[in-house]
Amino acid sequence: MTKKLKYDLVAYALFAAVIFLAVPAYLNFEGYELNTFARYLSLGIVSLALALSWGTAGILNLGQAATFGMGSYAMAMHLKLKSSQGLPDFMSWNNVEELPWFWVPFHSLSFTLLAGLLIPASIGGIIAIFMFRARISGVFVAVITLAFLVAFQLLVIEQQGYTGGQNGLTGLAPLTLLGWTVDIYSLSFYYLIAACLFVAIMIGIYLVHSKFGLILRAIREDADRTRFFGYNVASYETAAFCISAALAGWSGMLYTLVLEFASPTYMSVSFSLAIVIWCAVGGRESIIAAAIGAIVVNLLEVRLSDVFVEGWNLILGVTFVLIVMFMPRGLHGVVAGANDWIARRKDSRVSNAKHSNLKSRPEIKGGQ
Amino acid sequence: MDVLFNQLFSGLSMASILLIIALGLAIIYGSMGVINLAHGELVMLGAYATWALQHFFGFSILLALPFVFVAVGAVGWLIEKIIVQRLYSRPLDTILATWGIGIILQQIVRIAIGPESRFVSGPEILRGNIQIGNVYMSNYRIFVIVLSIAILGATWAIMTRTEFGTKLRAVIQNRSISECYGIESERIYSLTFAYGAGLAGVAGALITPLFSTIPTMGTGLVVNAFLVVIVGGLGSLFGTALAAVLIGQATALFSIVMNDTLGRIAVLICIILLIRLRPRGLFPGKTRN
Amino acid sequence: MKRREFLSRVSALGVAGSAGALSAPALLLGTRPAHALGDDIPVGLLFSLTGSVAVVEHTLHDAALMAIDEINAQGGIHGRMLRPIVEDPASDPATYADRARRLMIRDKCVSVFGSYTSASRQAVLPVVEQRNNLYWYPTLYEGRECSRNIMYGGAVPNQQQDNMIAWAVENFGPRFYLIGNNYVYPKEENNYCKKLLSELGGEVVHEEYVPLGHSDFSSAINRIRAEKPDVIFATVVGDSDVAFARQYHAAELDPEKMPVISLTRSEVEVKAIGGEAAAGHFSSAPYFMNHASAENERFVEAYKSRYGGDQVTHFVSEAAYFQVYQFKAAMEALDPKNVTTETIRAAAVGTKLMAPQGEVLIDENLHTHLWPKVAQWQADGQAQVLFGTEERVAPKPYAAYDGQSCTGAGLVEA
Repeated sequence: MTKKLKYDLVAYALFAAVIFLAVPAYLNFEGYELNTFARYLSLGIVSLALALSWGTAGILNLGQAATFGMGSYAMAMHLKLKSSQGLPDFMSWNNVEELPWFWVPFHSLSFTLLAGLLIPASIGGIIAIFMFRARISGVFVAVITLAFLVAFQLLVIEQQGYTGGQNGLTGLAPLTLLGWTVDIYSLSFYYLIAACLFVAIMIGIYLVHSKFGLILRAIREDADRTRFFGYNVASYETAAFCISAALAGWSGMLYTLVLEFASPTYMSVSFSLAIVIWCAVGGRESIIAAAIGAIVVNLLEVRLSDVFVEGWNLILGVTFVLIVMFMPRGLHGVVAGANDWIARRKDSRVSNAKHSNLKSRPEIKGGQ
Repeated sequence: MDVLFNQLFSGLSMASILLIIALGLAIIYGSMGVINLAHGELVMLGAYATWALQHFFGFSILLALPFVFVAVGAVGWLIEKIIVQRLYSRPLDTILATWGIGIILQQIVRIAIGPESRFVSGPEILRGNIQIGNVYMSNYRIFVIVLSIAILGATWAIMTRTEFGTKLRAVIQNRSISECYGIESERIYSLTFAYGAGLAGVAGALITPLFSTIPTMGTGLVVNAFLVVIVGGLGSLFGTALAAVLIGQATALFSIVMNDTLGRIAVLICIILLIRLRPRGLFPGKTRN
Repeated sequence: MKRREFLSRVSALGVAGSAGALSAPALLLGTRPAHALGDDIPVGLLFSLTGSVAVVEHTLHDAALMAIDEINAQGGIHGRMLRPIVEDPASDPATYADRARRLMIRDKCVSVFGSYTSASRQAVLPVVEQRNNLYWYPTLYEGRECSRNIMYGGAVPNQQQDNMIAWAVENFGPRFYLIGNNYVYPKEENNYCKKLLSELGGEVVHEEYVPLGHSDFSSAINRIRAEKPDVIFATVVGDSDVAFARQYHAAELDPEKMPVISLTRSEVEVKAIGGEAAAGHFSSAPYFMNHASAENERFVEAYKSRYGGDQVTHFVSEAAYFQVYQFKAAMEALDPKNVTTETIRAAAVGTKLMAPQGEVLIDENLHTHLWPKVAQWQADGQAQVLFGTEERVAPKPYAAYDGQSCTGAGLVEA
């Protein structure tokens, strides 16, 4: 077990304690507040999914919202079928005579749960193969994923008869999971979402600390050199992209549950950029920090808009610019930096200054 | 047949608007590697500056253009001095920072001027249409096309025929060696950013008579402009121009064959394919990394 | 030793990082100052103040807030003041759903007034039905909805189209070009328009949908020029409509030969379009700013003196305004000790109220009986009302669909 892994596990345990014990207690186990918090938790997953591809492998995916939306719609399609007898209402409004073939399997919950992970993963995979085989990297990845996102959102809005168009899918039934009908204002629902978040974080931590994660970091630092060592860079990048897409889909499924509807605005450019921001605020190099970033930013957004009805967006923009300028590694960077500082001071007191200079870690590059 | 020619003209008109918006972005991206996501908001500022000049001083758009160029250029200069300058070593972070700047500009305008849509009247001399057979060409749109070509030419001349341009190209090639030769690279960068921002302002002024002037108008524009720049290729003005024409024409033709929504999807798919096949754009610049 | 210390610091910072944000007291978790229930009547205002829809929703917010303040200035309802709770859903449907819950669950609002777009209403609908609250929706909309928890203050297709389409066919001709944004509202309006046209012997030469926020209409204008329709029937909304109208004018298409008849163009849009470009075209709506009535004069004057002389009122802000008074009338009619969604709804049905447009009435299907008018835009940015209906027109949200109707018992299928 490496040192870094140990730190991550400790942070994980602490974070879990906060989310599972402190937060519900603080919110007095009140249904509405718990539900609101569950929303932030579900967004934490998509943020950490981005940390996996961006922070670890250096792939800035500006189309994360598209895979998020796929998961969200998968879940919404299942719940919509459950709530309607026969054809969903919006279909008959759009003169669709019978249930389209790709809607039929969503009657089954297990198919839906699988589809919510696998559809984003496979579509992400296709895009990834398409890009990484051509050794496309950096800003060009960002542009391709962005263009894909815009096209995908337009398509979803255009196909109103099959997707509900601009209105999205509303009027959904509650989820029934193994005979338990989910009440979204209950403590158990909160714990369900929280558990999902922590499973996702666990997966993320495992991947980052495995050999796979090491190679991804090597690719981030220098793709060519990694290639010369005989690693198939494209495959590793594709795998990272797929896993990230699947996690985003998962997050989307949970988000639909929390908010009880799916909307094409989940696939908008601004939502996608918002994900990037959560991830950057938390710290893209750490899975846990990225999830915390999503929670903190959303919490701030809601609280600020409470207090400053007119100016909250402005405050958010200023805060964000300041964070990018002065905290390039996000909250995680501040924590890590403070640690380094303390450790160095301790060092210099114990041994001589020269020694500590040798030990100082190389600066991590802000962007690739 | 008439439909086709009308549509070709529409495509050219869309291309000219795209070009004017994208040009500023291309210059900033080509010379500093900064993707300025606040560019759309600079366009919006240009539109509002035009509105203010017209509303309070009675300027026509044509008269307002130089003032808008200077005013928005000054805003750009400030943004570069205060924020962007500190981020040149972290190019991806500039995407995030400029997006934040965009939010700030948008909110300032919304709070100071209000969220409602503002009216700017078009120039009197450019009213009306020229009609050739059954092909109608709006004078104002012709003016925008001509002006966009003129701006392209002027930018090219600045880049290649002036001392500033030579210095800028030197800095792009190798910043530290240029500094050794006494070129103040920081100043060059600030001025370039200001120039790009000024062009965004001009674009904003030019589109006000056609579109609606609201605080959120820039957000949609920047994505399109961004795509034009990438398709055109890093640091190539003519690549940007060609990309704008291609995308404008493709949008016009696809939208008449299918509809506006599907047309846009088709164009985006073409862009994705193009980037995949020519990742460095249509005309990659000859700069060294 | 060192490592253990390090761990403890990580933990300290970790807790500070995650819990610090949670527990920073006043700003972060400070809920609104608590009011003792019963002292006042909490009502929610759910209009976007930021984002792209704010252009229109800000005016709705202003109008509703003005009505609330007027009511409070007159002594409230049974001596209890209305306490408006303002939320900004930032033009995002997910945020509408979230804030609607907040208003209904946390702030215990008796009713919520809000929103403009169909997407936002659809997002709020499941919340308001589940929480069994009342949502007062002031906007004209596509019909085909029959919720028992939404009070619809705007026109449905039959209230905007019945008199107008017949008049347009008679005066301009039978060939219609339909253009709208790509979402449910324009599609449903067009469905009804096509139904009316087939009854009147008209035809649709082309039906076109552009993405929301679309701003370059040169393709559409070329197509219109090629098709030469008699009437352009427009359901383009917001800044798209502004761009459409300006480009239509710049292309020098003559409103006398090819008028645009819009269901969505109001004084707000015309202010941005400019009177010159809008002049000569038509709109159909229950209210226009220069409608001559004593109530309207008072409304316009109060609005202008409060928000500035250059402000305009329009057919959605008028409804946002009178709906607050409808709410007041309903609350006054019931026992103040027994305020529930059921009692408010029951009291509201049948309420007659002198609104700026004329006397409006809440139908048992919770839609509103209105006074449709057709008006022509003038160069000064105002609409001149050409004609109105002689009687109040009843709302038929399912007018386009034979055999379905919305009644006091909900949707009835014949």
